[in-house]
Amino acid sequence: MMKRLLSLSLIIMMMTTLLVGCSGNDGSKETTEGSTGKANEKVAISFYTTETGKDDMFMDLIADFEAKNQGITVEYIAAGNDQLQKWMSLYASNEGPTVSLMDPINIYENQARLLEFTPENAPFLANIEESALSTLTFDKKIYAAPMSAAGIGILYNKEVLDQAVGGNFDPATIKTVSDLEDLFIKIEATGVSASMVTGVNWSLGAHFLGQTYGAAIGNVDERVAYVASLKEGKVSLINDQVFNDYMNTLDLLAKYNYNKADPLVGNVNLDAEALAAGQVGTWFMGDWAWTYLAPIVAEGQEFGILPIPRNNDASDIINQSIPTSFAKGYCVDASQNTEAQQAAGLKFIEYLTSDTDAHAVLAKVTGQAYPYKNFTQTIESPLGRATADYIANGLTYDFYGTSNLLPSDIWYECGAFMCEYLAGAANRTKLAENIEMYWKNSK
Amino acid sequence: MRNLKNKKLGNVIQFAGFGLPALFIWLSVVIIPFIYGIAITFTDWNGLSMDINFVGLQNYKAVFSDPTFISSFFKTVIYVVFTVFFSNVVGFLLALAVTSGIKGQGLFRTGFFTPNIIGGIILGYIWNFIFSYALTSVGKTLGIDWLSTSFITHPTRALIALIIVSSWQMSGYLMVIYIAGLTNISNELIEAAQIDGAKGWQIVKSIKVPLLRNSIAICIFLAISRSFMSFDMNLSLTAGGPYKSTELIAYKIYQTAFTSMEFGKGQAQAIVLFGIVAVISLLQVYFTNKGAVDQ
Repeated sequence: MMKRLLSLSLIIMMMTTLLVGCSGNDGSKETTEGSTGKANEKVAISFYTTETGKDDMFMDLIADFEAKNQGITVEYIAAGNDQLQKWMSLYASNEGPTVSLMDPINIYENQARLLEFTPENAPFLANIEESALSTLTFDKKIYAAPMSAAGIGILYNKEVLDQAVGGNFDPATIKTVSDLEDLFIKIEATGVSASMVTGVNWSLGAHFLGQTYGAAIGNVDERVAYVASLKEGKVSLINDQVFNDYMNTLDLLAKYNYNKADPLVGNVNLDAEALAAGQVGTWFMGDWAWTYLAPIVAEGQEFGILPIPRNNDASDIINQSIPTSFAKGYCVDASQNTEAQQAAGLKFIEYLTSDTDAHAVLAKVTGQAYPYKNFTQTIESPLGRATADYIANGLTYDFYGTSNLLPSDIWYECGAFMCEYLAGAANRTKLAENIEMYWKNSK
Repeated sequence: MRNLKNKKLGNVIQFAGFGLPALFIWLSVVIIPFIYGIAITFTDWNGLSMDINFVGLQNYKAVFSDPTFISSFFKTVIYVVFTVFFSNVVGFLLALAVTSGIKGQGLFRTGFFTPNIIGGIILGYIWNFIFSYALTSVGKTLGIDWLSTSFITHPTRALIALIIVSSWQMSGYLMVIYIAGLTNISNELIEAAQIDGAKGWQIVKSIKVPLLRNSIAICIFLAISRSFMSFDMNLSLTAGGPYKSTELIAYKIYQTAFTSMEFGKGQAQAIVLFGIVAVISLLQVYFTNKGAVDQ
């Protein structure tokens, strides 16, 4: 009898444990009771970031935020190799992050789940440059606050270029493809590789190819119309002037590529080392590369950004401009988080966009320009400063134009075609056909 | 009557104690997600949207009319054929070596099995470094052209790299099963063969291999199913590259679902893969068992 009772109690205990273990919470991660026993005093929120390689920075920011906002705790969740997979898994398990730092296209596609920012619930909007909010505004509704302004271009090591031109290199002298080639020839004459292309799908598929849907096509409406005609199969890319212009520039970069022997080996860390060590003069990348360069550059080394020229028209303003984007935005989930959590999430975004201590950390680690009106930090990164200079001189255009211009998988699908082209495994015609096919099949 | 009732109650309690937790877990993590997954294949869900529409068999039609899926499938078949062959041959040879009574065979067994407990993701990154930087340094130093460039930046060589690493990893696992089979073979049989004048290779061919038929069936079954569903190594070693030339079917499904955000289509691809693997595995088990009966 005792044995039977013992068995029964063990079974009940086990089943209870299983059921409790599987029940989890109700998805609201809501409030927990404080030590005083009063509910709603403490709020637990989560922060999901797709900005990789900056774990320490975000952990520091969270620690500072928590210290300044007693009662709010922030769980840090970093994306892995694939920024969407974990996000989707979190939503599927009813654990949608309270605050997410995502690409504009992801925010656009997921807007039904997100909280609309208004001057009432998000007063920090007044502290953000109006132009920076456009990428994150859909149907006149704001769904996210921008992070930093990222500039794409040809990074250069000034010391190498000074030596090549025999004096003080002035980036404004590069206004055409011919100017760029002349510079490359001079760099090669010093025994250093002239250019470097990191053969990875995101750099070639999103950033380089992305320019062919940029300002060279026209204003935002013209760019949207162009993409629509690609989807309808009405564009012959092999006969398209803009496409061919940019591919000619890519051919030039590939001709003098430091990684020419094995163009797809693609390692950002090693490429950053090569630029810092002066083994190569220029590198197609973006100002975010300072994250990789900062720890290895010597004191006094200077770097800058060149625009990517597309033709030999020296008066073409696009040849002198760089594409910039607010590539990431902070959004708040309204579908799986309680109102208290959403409010705490907005407070966290307010801290990130408005707090001077947060600005100091962001400026120091990322070295990028931020579109916050009270941002007074000195940007240590010469690349970030270069982007800021282009912005100040009006020599930039919005990379996206509108957040849903380019599909979220373009970097992977078209990136593969671009890598194939860079490796010489496909010619221009094949590349054009592949990209046309991608657009025809895209939603 | 009361004894019968008690016995029945005892049976129920026994089942509840031993069977119910396992059944509950199996239902929760296998059967319910599987049914849920089938349901998703009939929708246009993107994995995040709150708006889900029924689309009938459209996702299945899309799978079979997608040339990239067919191409991924054939690449996977090539990968599976070579991986199954090499992992089994190497696993069997390793098992023979570490059951031959050599000194330190316990250490060797542990060593060869270790890759299985490290995990495919980490192994993939380690081998990525070896193929991209270690071997290329050797190639450049010795002036060997084909070794001077990375294995994983060339379509054919990248697939070979994937087969090499997968076979290397899986062979240790299969070795353990072959060891179990080999140690079950009676020494008397081996000694009798030796007395009859059989030499080493003859003993292996005519005594050990026929008596290992069950182990071989299990190993081939495991190798086929694991290779068809290979994902982690594919992700970390080649990431489907260069230019999607090593995008095996499981990785293709992942990309469809999570990068292209076509969850319904990705799930339909997964169901098709399940069907293919199930049919191939059942056929393989059937023919292997048939062979055993015929023998």
